[in-house]
Amino acid sequence: MTTEASKLLVVKDLTTTFATLAGPLTAVGGVSFDLNKNETMGIVGESGSGKTVLSRSIMGLQQRTNVTVTGSVLLNGQEIVGASEKVKRKLWGTEVAMVFQDPMTSLNPVMRIGKQIDEALRVRLGMSRADAKARAIELLELVGIPSPQRRYNAYPGQLSGGMRQRVVIATALACTPKLLMADEPTTGLDVTIQAQILNLLEDLKEQLHMSVILVTHDLGVVATRTSKIVVMYAGRIVEMGSTREVFAHHRMPYTRALLESSPKITNPSHTRLTTIPGRPPNLLKLADGCSFAPRCAYATERCHVERPELTPAGQPGHSFACWNPLTSEREVVVA
Amino acid sequence: MAHPHVEPPEEKEPLGFLFWICVGWIGLNLVGAIFANVLPLQNPLYQNYTSINVGPSLHHLLGTDDIGRDIFSRVVYGSRISITAGIGAMIIGFGVGAPLGMLTAYRRGRFDTMVTTVMYALLAFPGIVATIAVLSFWVPRDLFKIIVVIGVASIPIIYRIIRAATLSVASRDFVVAAKVQGASDRRILFKELLPNVAPILISFLLIGVATVVTIEGALAFLGLSVNPPTPSWGNMINEARTVMAQNPWLVIFPSVALCLFLLSLNYIGDRLRTHFDVAEVKL
Repeated sequence: MTTEASKLLVVKDLTTTFATLAGPLTAVGGVSFDLNKNETMGIVGESGSGKTVLSRSIMGLQQRTNVTVTGSVLLNGQEIVGASEKVKRKLWGTEVAMVFQDPMTSLNPVMRIGKQIDEALRVRLGMSRADAKARAIELLELVGIPSPQRRYNAYPGQLSGGMRQRVVIATALACTPKLLMADEPTTGLDVTIQAQILNLLEDLKEQLHMSVILVTHDLGVVATRTSKIVVMYAGRIVEMGSTREVFAHHRMPYTRALLESSPKITNPSHTRLTTIPGRPPNLLKLADGCSFAPRCAYATERCHVERPELTPAGQPGHSFACWNPLTSEREVVVA
Repeated sequence: MAHPHVEPPEEKEPLGFLFWICVGWIGLNLVGAIFANVLPLQNPLYQNYTSINVGPSLHHLLGTDDIGRDIFSRVVYGSRISITAGIGAMIIGFGVGAPLGMLTAYRRGRFDTMVTTVMYALLAFPGIVATIAVLSFWVPRDLFKIIVVIGVASIPIIYRIIRAATLSVASRDFVVAAKVQGASDRRILFKELLPNVAPILISFLLIGVATVVTIEGALAFLGLSVNPPTPSWGNMINEARTVMAQNPWLVIFPSVALCLFLLSLNYIGDRLRTHFDVAEVKL
């Protein structure tokens, strides 16, 4: 059990609603979790489950007029929901930083990469030009870029995708944030580079004593690198707990279905991958019951009319939202 | 001798011979426009009735027109009005349109909706008709008023293009990335957005100067530009139309001057853009 003091991030009942022409759309509905210092958490779910909106809401990045964010996000004791732009600017970079999904668009194509890193150092930390340059080269070295002195003057177009993502990470780390949000940091990269980048993030987390939130649709990514997993479906948390618990004793059929739909090395060749039938629900027309019920093999009458709340499972920290939870003996039947 | 780890220097394609010819030509035009009255030129207004419609000769480099004025001297003096109008109007148009377009595209929201609506309402007016209407009543006409009117009329067009260019850049992740690093709005506008919009801005600026030179010519044709006999490339071409059959040089020389000026400007703009373009990956 952890004490309040060791908690870096406390999210309570976070709800993000978009006002669309067709009515209010709840992209994130009543999400609560907390994150300890030096902990890595994974947020998983399929496309459209609200992962990205959730991570941007935690950052306080939804500022368009048609978005309403309610609930509470406490980062190191500082409330982010409803905070002014000025307050958030102080937090961004030094308290929380973000690694973006696509390294092709998250670097300014007409600015030398060194400049993009030391801008932050000079603006936020007030470093001199020379100090900032030295630090930027250090950071480039830290993220594993060969001959950083020379690369300092390169433009993003001269680097490969993996190199660019390393630069993106370096810019995020420039002001040594306490929390690093990585929103699908490896989606645009091929598998060998993916592993390199993920290992790099893990090493850096240890070296710099950060907490990391890893947002992904790939369970393989979070399996070995996180201590805690949040599974999202249709904007809500459907199961969360320690990584070990979620993998070994998941109770929610959706979690099972997600696990079943990623290939395993132990499967014989030509094994057909299990897929989840149907598609994620339209967030504009969410039914009263469990959002997963229409696709769930275990759905009963109750699932369609009454929404299950997160209930604690056996192990501390593990909870799930399901009326008909799986037990370890029960085999899942999907499709 | 060579150190084993020496990196080859970043290779950049040279700008090329033609580029420097164009730069030289523009320079020559500017010198002519600025120093026309100190250069050893004949009086562009002097009518020599003993030599009317003569072809190019040593005495009259480009010949004379139907009332015996030296064409070479008129072309050089004409560049004054044309170039000043082109540059002046674009300073007004870009000075207002470009910052406004970038700002609204970056901030969006109600301010953007308001400004864009007004600009589109202005665009609904045919620009040339509005220009003619204003210039008909704003007398006495002089170069300054012409520049102001053309410049103001160009603001909505420039606004629309710069706004669109900025929108496509502002929605990219690196802008959000700069923001979450704590960059201020001003910094994002000048350091992140402006360098990305600059190539479009510069090429459109050069085309704009060219367009204004021709618009000034069109206005001159309607008698709404500087009053004759003051020459400008535009009004020289228009005056010469009536005697084109007898003396084609009269149309050709100012037209060639105008064409070469615009071509050089465009070529310079194009070469500079490719030379300094770092966004395009070169294979």
